[in-house]
Parts: sequence; structure tokens; C-alpha cells
Amino acid sequence: MTRNTKPDFYALSWRLPIIIWQALFFLGPIVFMIAMSFFLVKNYRMTEAFEFVNWGRMMTRGYFWDSYWHTIWIASLSTLCGMLIAFPVAYTLAFRASENTRRMAIFLLIIPFFTSYLVRTFSWFVILSESGVLNAMLGWVGLGPYTMLNTTFGTLVGYMTLTLPLVVILQTLAMANIDRSLVEAAHNLGCKPLQTIWRVILPLAKTGMIVAAVFCFILSFGDFVAPFYLGGSQDPTLPILIIDTTKSGQQWPRAAVVAIMMMLTLFAVAFAGIALAYRKRAMS
Amino acid sequence: MRSAVLWIYTALVFAFVFAPILFSVVFSFNSQRFPTIPLGEFSTEWYAKILADPDIWQAALNSLIVSSCTAVLATFLGFCTAYSDYRYRFRLKGAYLALILLPPTIPLIIMALAMLAWLSKIGMSGQLYSIIIAHTVLTAPFAMAVIRLRLNQMDENLEAAAWNLGGSEWATMRHVIVPFCRPAIIAALCLTAAVSFDEFAISWFVSGLNKTLPVAILEIVQGNIDPQVNAIGTFVFLISMSLIILAQIFLVGRQLKGHT
Amino acid sequence: MSGDLVVFDDVRKSFGEFVAVKQMNLTIGQGEFVAIMGPSGCGKTTTLRMLAGLEAPSTGEIRLDGRVMNDVKPHERDTPMVWQSLALFPFLSARENVEFGLRMRGVDKATRTSRAMDWLDRMGIAEFADRNVATLSGGQRQRVALARALVMEPQILLLDEPLSALDAHLVIRMQAVLTQLQRELGITFVYVTHSQSEAFAMADRVVIMSQGEIAQIGTPKEIYRAPANRFVAEFVGRNNILSGTVTAAEAGQARIATPSGTFTVHGTLTQGQRASFAVSADLVHVHSERPEAENTLGCRLLSEEFVGSVVTLFLESEDGHEFKVQMQERQLSQFDLKGGEALWLDWQAAHAHILDDG
Repeated sequence: MTRNTKPDFYALSWRLPIIIWQALFFLGPIVFMIAMSFFLVKNYRMTEAFEFVNWGRMMTRGYFWDSYWHTIWIASLSTLCGMLIAFPVAYTLAFRASENTRRMAIFLLIIPFFTSYLVRTFSWFVILSESGVLNAMLGWVGLGPYTMLNTTFGTLVGYMTLTLPLVVILQTLAMANIDRSLVEAAHNLGCKPLQTIWRVILPLAKTGMIVAAVFCFILSFGDFVAPFYLGGSQDPTLPILIIDTTKSGQQWPRAAVVAIMMMLTLFAVAFAGIALAYRKRAMS
Repeated sequence: MRSAVLWIYTALVFAFVFAPILFSVVFSFNSQRFPTIPLGEFSTEWYAKILADPDIWQAALNSLIVSSCTAVLATFLGFCTAYSDYRYRFRLKGAYLALILLPPTIPLIIMALAMLAWLSKIGMSGQLYSIIIAHTVLTAPFAMAVIRLRLNQMDENLEAAAWNLGGSEWATMRHVIVPFCRPAIIAALCLTAAVSFDEFAISWFVSGLNKTLPVAILEIVQGNIDPQVNAIGTFVFLISMSLIILAQIFLVGRQLKGHT
Repeated sequence: MSGDLVVFDDVRKSFGEFVAVKQMNLTIGQGEFVAIMGPSGCGKTTTLRMLAGLEAPSTGEIRLDGRVMNDVKPHERDTPMVWQSLALFPFLSARENVEFGLRMRGVDKATRTSRAMDWLDRMGIAEFADRNVATLSGGQRQRVALARALVMEPQILLLDEPLSALDAHLVIRMQAVLTQLQRELGITFVYVTHSQSEAFAMADRVVIMSQGEIAQIGTPKEIYRAPANRFVAEFVGRNNILSGTVTAAEAGQARIATPSGTFTVHGTLTQGQRASFAVSADLVHVHSERPEAENTLGCRLLSEEFVGSVVTLFLESEDGHEFKVQMQERQLSQFDLKGGEALWLDWQAAHAHILDDG
């Protein structure tokens, strides 16, 4: 029962805890990080200041921009691969599977979220290595060995490990909500299957699809494990840059600059996604 | 025919998703240091090794403390927020909900850096409770979502019925709302514990010398290939899985019962 | 009936722009069974919720046993309610549900258990005391809800469409249970419903509401035979309503010219004014030949509807006005009716009831 009432002691007892907690330990850290990007580091000690030194330094460094565009490129590639690989699975689960199978499949896909991503990555490291399981299997049919670690392929395998379950779930939910009679109507009107997907299913599932793509991008963009362990980190992504800057040089303010640039980029992507999702389609 | 192709493809993608988990378990019982096919002999060597390692024991204990404290705090905060959202309409409610729901959408590495900087600033970094604080921020939204869904299933007059029978708001909370939400509360405890148990980025940044299991794994992995990781991973996997299945049983099991 | 228990004194309730209840004045006596009836959105449930303290009046005063209740919190009142959804606590057994109110009032365990068991026994469901309420049937759950409210031994019981979820045959049974309980306990029942049959079967007095206002208060018979206005006449149903201009008026009688004909009514009207009257469908008679009577009218039969042994005929006059006639099935068998047949209607002038709002 939702009612507009003056907040009394009882109401505030339930409303305030999260406000206080998040102000202290969520807004606090984020705001402080933004402030920190203007601090100075002298003799390995951080002093509070309001200078644009860190921003000036990072924004004019070639390695930052190399890393920035490389991260955007590889996260975009991951998003494209993730969306394409997941689509047939989501399509099958949404339109070919029974209610129970679909529920079971989604439950299975939730499991990876709660298993150590690190351990799974390490597992791929072993599987993909020069003398690993995959190369051994390829060897039986006379192929390889291929170098798969320390390549973009390796990074992508890691990203897919991280993102595929979520992308499949989001795509499935987006398509499972489509009224099946619309799809059947399209078939009856002589729409070919691929045409139906393109003309009927995708426009109807647009919002969910964009949400899936945005999440895939966010996860890939912010992950340091896949590019570090499977991609060999020779082209460091922004998260690796943050770790290196924080862990080795005490240059927290510069790391903060990188982090803020990442957040701005993600905001831009999320807003672009929302704009795209809610843009009115031109009616033909 | 086309259906068969689609199902085979689906099975392959599921195989891709579960292959690393499966191989990790298999490798943990494999005698080879560099596991490949054909597999080596069955061995519990890696388990023996981690069980003999006091650092791992300490990390496991730390993980246990962190995840159980996180679960309690995050579930409490999630419950408060879910109830406020269910019961009241107020100004700036959108901002209020955003405040709790946003953290999981921010990359962990950024949260890690921000947490490290802020907790150092206020003199609270490098402790076990630093991790608990950060994990609570991260997992409270999951608790909130699970409990909010349960409140949606509540008869909209149930709370008023308790007032009507002489229960004050606090008594009604204790005797009606909390018992009604109990399955969701237990599920939320399990889920938040599971997420906290596996998180490594933030823990790595803010924990100082107090390693949790995932941080221990991270440090071993940085060194070289060491199948100990698979043994720890299998152990962690078992714990997480039990928590998830427990959560699922409480959520789905109670729902079925409620509908009969 | 000894004195007033509930008084609504100029009570008004608005939610933002929407006015749910307008200037309500209503008095309910001790031991009275009052039904508040009206279409959905008429303000009847809001009225009940104000009585329980779940909504506060915007203006005006509600008094219960002489005490002003406006600012009394719901849990500080003694106004237990039986809810449309029953609102049983799903995680408690039947007995624990009944004990709930006593537990909230701090009654000790032994006392509350014995009082709860007494009530479960009285409702005939003692054997289900330890069953989870989710496993009980609709009728049994209904009885738990009643016991849960009545175990509080209140002066007044509020009921919000409590029978609307039950099957038809259970509704009749529960009506008997409720009526009997109310007589035995001698407490006030305020019963909100949209069902005419429930209200008329049980209540001493019926309050009909429309758009936040009281349209009529009266005994079931008064409302049935003498609807105050067009809304009540239409809402109560099975009334034939005719409107026209008064052509002659003298000595408590008047002639009203309507498009269907000119008819005599009893009542004081002035010549030239607009007037409407209602004739209950069961007071209209059907003839194959034109009868010698005060008010007669030629009609064509459209259709028949059988409910049990009661038949309703739907007819149409020459000007296209629809008429309803209700009679026993055996009376109908005198006629050999076919659709489209020409028939004659008649009713006594004394049975035509003049409506207030013209």
C-alpha cells in the first residue's frame, strides 16, 4: 500500500539507513575519487590540492589514448561477438524451448555469476596454452598447435566467459516477452524466418537487446582479468592501467583520472543506449 | 531440422560456459602440473597441499567472516530499502532507488580504486571490515531486489489487517512483514554471501594484508601455473553453489507452497 | 437498538483532486446491521476504511461510542475488519491467525489459545486449528477470518465485501451464518458490498452510495418499494422507470403523460411539472387481452429469462421503451407465449412510486 504520508519516526527508520550508508560508502568514495584526480603527489605522498596537473599529464600522454582507444575497440568487439554468439541461443530458448526448459536454462546461466571468474579464467589459461587441452585435441585431427594465449582471441575468450551468460539471459528475457502470435502472423503473411527476425522480432525486442549490449560493453570495458591473463597485457587496457598506476607508483590521482574517463565513457554509452532504445521508430 | 541445428548450437554455447568450471574440477584431481589431454593420474595432491597451507586456511577464514558479515549487513540494508519502496511514496524516490541500485553497474576496478582512496582517507583501509563495507555497497542491491519481489507477492491488506487487530507498526513489522519475507531474507543472505565470497578486485585493493580466498587465488595465478588454484576453485565453487541452490530452494519452494 | 454507536458528522475525504466521499452524515445504532452498497468507486470502501482508521477524513468528524476517532491510529481502535481478500497471515496456522489480535493486545498464551479454540469451535472448524491457512478451502478460510475478528469481542465488526470470492452456494450459507452471529452477539455490523441480494438479505438498514454521496438510507423494503431517486431505482434493478409531464393533479393523485402513454400515480404533484416514477417489475401484470384497469399499456414480447422459478419478461412498448415484468414460472404457464406477441400490461397507481429527482 503506497500512500503519501508525512515521514514519521517509523518511516525514517527504514528509509534512512541506506541513505546514510550509501552516502558514506558509495557517494563518498566516488566523490572523493573525483576530487583526488586534482590532488598532487610529491615525494610519493599525496597532498590535497586543486590542480589540473594529473589531467594535463594523462590527457597529453600517447600511451593513455592508445590504451583508451584499444579498450574501446576490444570492448566493442567483445560486445559484437557476445551479441552475435548469444542470439541463436536466446532465440532457441525464447521460441523453441518450453517454459520449464527456459527456466532451467536461465538458472544454469546464473550459476557462473557465483563461481569464481578468476578460477574460470585460469582454467582457460590451461586449456588454451601451447600444450593444453585444446591444442592436444586439434593435434589429433592434424591441426595446430596454435598460439591462442596472449592474443586478442585469448582476451575475447575471457570476455565471453564473463559476459555470455548475462547476454544470453537478457536476450532471452527480451524475446520471451514478445507475443508469439505476432511472430506467427508474420510467418503466415509469408515472412521468411530471417526476415521475421529482422523485421518483427528485433524491433519488438529492441529495448532488451540494447540493455544486453550495454551490459556486455560495461563488463568487458571494466574487466582486467581477461586482457591481463589471457591477452598477455602487451596492449594494456584502461583497467590494467589503473592497477599499474595504483599498485606500483602511488600515483592514485592519475589512476583516478583514468577511472573518471572510464566512467564518463560508460555514461555516454549507457545514455546512447537509452536514447536508441526509446527513440521512436519511423513508421513505414 | 533447423530446430536441431539450433539446439546443437545452444548446447555448444552452454558447453563453452561450463567448460572452464568443469575442467577446473577435473584438473584439481589430476596429477599433472601442466594439465592436458590425455589426463594424468587421479590425485588429491593439490588438495593435500592447500589443506597443509596455513595461509590458505587463514584466507578461507577471512572469506568466511567477510561474506557472512556482508550478507547480514547487505540483507538488512536491502530489506530497509525494499520495504521503504513498497510502503511509501516520497519525493526524490527515483534518486533514492538509484543510490542503492547503481553500484553493481560501475566497473569493479573503479569501485576498488574509489574505495581504497576513500577508506584510506578516513583511516579505515587495510582491514577485514574494509572489505565488508565495500562488499555491502556492492551486494545490497541484490538483497533489495530479492526482498522487493517477495513484498510484491504480499496481500496488499496484510499489513493493514495486522494494524486492524491491534498491532502497532513495529509489532506488525516483527510479526507480519518479517515472517512473510523470511524465505526472501534467507535467499538474500545466501546470494549476497555468494557474491561476496567470489569477489576479488575490490578485496585485492582494500584488504591490505588480510587476504581472502579469491585474493589468494589472484596472487597464486600471478606467479605461475599452479593447480592448487583448481583445488581452491573447486572448494569455492562448492560453497557458492550450495548457497545458490539454498537460495533457489527458499525462493521457489516457498512460492509453490504459497500458491496451493 | 440502544443509542448511536457510530456517527459520521459532515465527513469528507479527498485523495488529491479526487473526492472519494462528499459531506457524509450517517448514524449507525448499537446492535444494528447496516449494509453500505453502491457501484465500485462510490466511496463505500473508503467509508469503511475511515471507520477502521486506515484513512483519515479530510474534514468532518467520525465518532465511535461518543469518542472522536479522527486521530486515533488503526491499532488503537477496536474495529476489527473482515477483508475482501481475507488477508489471513499465510505463515500462521488457523489458530495462530485467530490468536493474532489477542497476542498484539498482550493476552497471555493460555487464555488466547482457549479463546481462539472457542471461536474456531463455534465456527465449526476446530479440527483445522493447526492447519496452515493456505491449505483450507474458501469457506473455511472465511470462517477463520470471521473468528479472527470476533475473538476480539468488539462492539462493531467491519466487513468489506467478505463473500465476493465465494461460490454462490457458499454465499447463501455464509449469509445465514453472519445474520445469526449478529443476532446472537448483538453487536453492530457494518457491511460493505456491491451485491443487492447480500445487502437486502442481511441488513436492518441499507445505505446506498453513489459518487461519494449517500443516495438513500432505509430498510431493504423501503429501498426496494420506494426508491428515492432515479439512481437508486436503476441500481436496485428490476424497476420500470417512466418520465413525463404532469397533465392533471388533484387530491393526492396525478396523471403523468409519458411517451409510452398517460398514467395515474398517487402523490402530490403540480400540473405542468416534469416527473418520473418507478414500478417494480414484480408489481406489473401481464394479460393477453386489454384489461379494465387504471394503468394499461400495449407491448410486444422481446424475450424471457428464467432464474429458478422466477421468470423475467422483457417487453417493448410502441415508442420503443423497454419494460420488465417478473412473475412465478407457474403463472406464466397460463399464457402460451411466442416472441413478438402483443400483450397488455397493467399496474395499480398505488404501486407507481414517484422519484424525487424528476
